[in-house]
Amino acid sequence: MRPGAASITTIAFLLALGTASLLGPASAQPAPQARDIPQSLMVEHQETLARLAKLVERPPPVGPQARKVLELYKQHTAREQAFILPPLTLLLPMSEGKVTPDMRWAIPMTDRVRAEQEQIYVEHATMIDELNLLLEAARTANDADGIDFAQTAAADSLNDLELLVPMVLVIGDYLHARLPPAQ
Amino acid sequence: MSHHRIRALVRLLAIAGGIAAPALGGGAWAADPADGQAVYKSQCSICHTVAPGRNSIGPTLFGVVGRKTGSAPGFHYSPANIRANITWEPATLDKYIETPRAVVPGTIMTYSGVKDATKRADLIAYLETLR
Repeated sequence: MRPGAASITTIAFLLALGTASLLGPASAQPAPQARDIPQSLMVEHQETLARLAKLVERPPPVGPQARKVLELYKQHTAREQAFILPPLTLLLPMSEGKVTPDMRWAIPMTDRVRAEQEQIYVEHATMIDELNLLLEAARTANDADGIDFAQTAAADSLNDLELLVPMVLVIGDYLHARLPPAQ
Repeated sequence: MSHHRIRALVRLLAIAGGIAAPALGGGAWAADPADGQAVYKSQCSICHTVAPGRNSIGPTLFGVVGRKTGSAPGFHYSPANIRANITWEPATLDKYIETPRAVVPGTIMTYSGVKDATKRADLIAYLETLR
């Protein structure tokens, strides 16, 4: 997510919270519910963050460039965890043939992924730009970990666009087809 | 004056003189494959190899000039790239490398593009050597 967009979203969210508290509990809207993401992806995110945190400690040119990647990655994973990845937790029950009304929570998320596909692509492209710079810095510093990290992260980026995002879209289409509109 | 500055000056003079920007072949300055190799290393090598038959995150760039979209053996392309039906010649590559998603909407090559025309020309000159 671009910093500008993140700031606007944050301000809007805080304003919404403030308005709700002014109006009192009777009219307060429920806060958006955080949803789990698949455990394998949670572990992957944690491992990526840990590797980046180590690279940030490196001297220039690797450390400062790793910090830029880290900031971008944090923003990106925050969006992923907010609405891109949670619907993937439905894959297992859906693969068992279960589609139940309590899965409806995922529909706004999958709809948002479809609406923001281009932005998601741009985020990944921006990430690759920064990873290119990290790769270059790591090569200059002969930093094998930095080189490996940049190349692995680039592969992960493709994985997102080739697998995860399409899966989310298919889940959304399936839920739309199988669940009648809410009353 | 450095090699890069001389080339930039020649380009500026060409544009100032009303000469069509000759980014690709037969222009007022020659694209430099050696500089293009450096562009490849810094911008493309994270995803693409230049080894024959060796695909990575992206398809090998060996033999890319003259190749049709979606046709590198052993690489699984996105539907967008298969549908594009473009032959990668210098002119089509120039546009694609500048703004990939504009030329092939839906491509999952996550790259913003090389905005500098000289770098693109150098890169394409390098790609043309990969035969």
